[in-house]
Amino acid sequence: MTRIVTAAILAALFALPLFGPHPFILHMLSLVAISATVALGLQLLLGFSGQLSIGQAAFYGIGAYASGLLSTRLGLPFPAAFAAAGLAAALASLLMVPITRLTGAYLAVATLGFSILVYLLLKNEEWLTGGSFGLMGIPRPSLFGHVLTQPGHAYLLCVSVAALVYFSLLRLERSRFGRAINAIRQNEDAARACGVQVTLLKSQCFVIAAFVAGLAGSLYAHQVRYLAPTDFTFWKSVEILIMVVIGGMGSLFGAVLGAAVVVLLPEVLREVGDYRMLVFGAILMAVMLFGETGIAGFLGQCLKPFSKR
Amino acid sequence: MPEALLEAVALSRRFGGLVAVDAVDFSVRAGAIHGLIGPNGAGKTTLLNLIAAALPASGGTLRFHGEDITRWGPARRARAGIRRTFQNLKLFAEMTALQNASLGLHAGTRAGIFAALVGTPGQRREEREIAHGARRALEFVGLAAQADVVAAKLPYGHRRLLEIARAIVAQPALLLLDEPAAGLNATEAVNLAGLIRRIQGLGTTVVLVEHQMDVVMTVCDTITVLNYGRKLAQGAPLEIQRSPEVIEAYLGGGDEPPAAHAVA
Repeated sequence: MTRIVTAAILAALFALPLFGPHPFILHMLSLVAISATVALGLQLLLGFSGQLSIGQAAFYGIGAYASGLLSTRLGLPFPAAFAAAGLAAALASLLMVPITRLTGAYLAVATLGFSILVYLLLKNEEWLTGGSFGLMGIPRPSLFGHVLTQPGHAYLLCVSVAALVYFSLLRLERSRFGRAINAIRQNEDAARACGVQVTLLKSQCFVIAAFVAGLAGSLYAHQVRYLAPTDFTFWKSVEILIMVVIGGMGSLFGAVLGAAVVVLLPEVLREVGDYRMLVFGAILMAVMLFGETGIAGFLGQCLKPFSKR
Repeated sequence: MPEALLEAVALSRRFGGLVAVDAVDFSVRAGAIHGLIGPNGAGKTTLLNLIAAALPASGGTLRFHGEDITRWGPARRARAGIRRTFQNLKLFAEMTALQNASLGLHAGTRAGIFAALVGTPGQRREEREIAHGARRALEFVGLAAQADVVAAKLPYGHRRLLEIARAIVAQPALLLLDEPAAGLNATEAVNLAGLIRRIQGLGTTVVLVEHQMDVVMTVCDTITVLNYGRKLAQGAPLEIQRSPEVIEAYLGGGDEPPAAHAVA
């Protein structure tokens, strides 16, 4: 049942450009796929291993700027810049290893501190990042010497990366590693008593989440083609957190749904004009009333009568 | 004493001014079921936590298989073959019984992130072995039918058994049981005593902290009595029941043994 639904959704997503939708819709959906990728990384970190980070925008930003700078300054081809963006963010996350000893609010504040630090670096190191003026002229992504000028192709690239990350994390979730990090979230003492190397695994989760955020950052840089430090403020970190929580903690599919809601809802609400963030906030609160399982849990409850067990 | 699997020398633990475990010399013979008893606050659970490294020792040394493990953390000791259960159950509440038991095999297996991403043949085989081993451990404690039940939904007695399954699934050299009979009814307690004996039969040495004297007196080969953090007496169950110091500690000068009705 789940497999059929997944396959159908995937087929629909990949077939969408064939129906010639408006380029703006493709652009928005590309942004959903990019956000979903970052959110999937945080889902592993928060939903699986139980580590609350409000600093994911830092890794997203590091990936975006790394990819943007490498392709504009050094003329690196997109695939190389893309991989380097993931690696740069993963390397930066090694700075977080000492703080994986922290939990809950302490960890959250420490990651927030990191996020603020990275924002200030992006803003003030003008010689490198262009400072508040931003980084301009980032080329479109190219694959095998073919520049993806059509919005449909860029869209397919973003969806492919998001799908690849989704299925990779799904595999991890169902593996020995996934069991162990879930165990850490549910009872750290018991996990240690089973011989789980808690600090090591927590750090690995940080690195994976950062790597994935870095990849998403690269996609963002080449999708929007202009980067400003304000794209990677504390508010972006909060947005990523909202995606994971309203989508449903612990659910990879939920992270994708959450990303879609957070990216698309403000656009849909444009009609309401100045009040849109007010309505957005109210909707977030209403979604949380569904319970801790978020949108994914709510949908699961709705579909239960239809799925044969 | 021949072949000590675990040996504590002058092991101590202080909490501020309180000395919970006071220079205890303690040795567990390989293959034994070793009881640890004493009045409330005697330091039994603290001693168990020192052996499992849930707490660091304030002084003294601990040897396991003759090796100094005093500075080893809890995960490293678990990997070396010291497994435990907890007085207040610590299960992975959202996981099924099978997944809980599988975690017990985490240390002995090795598939990492890349193996899982690629799905190597070795990783798949290992996953099958883990599932198989976990199922066998559940059968061993009598929870085969509950394999797919989420731990939080199991009745209390089953949860106690599940913790034991998770602790023995990797066939550890040493099993530390912290009040496994707490909250069990009489029938369940009798079954537990049988289970502990069968665990011994697998070649696992057991250290048992327990308040239910009938369980302790039935299964233990040796008993150490703690009082105010110090070792008061050590010996076979019958010697302990007759020891005047033990009787004094338990009853404050009465003349009844700790459990006159116990069957040795």
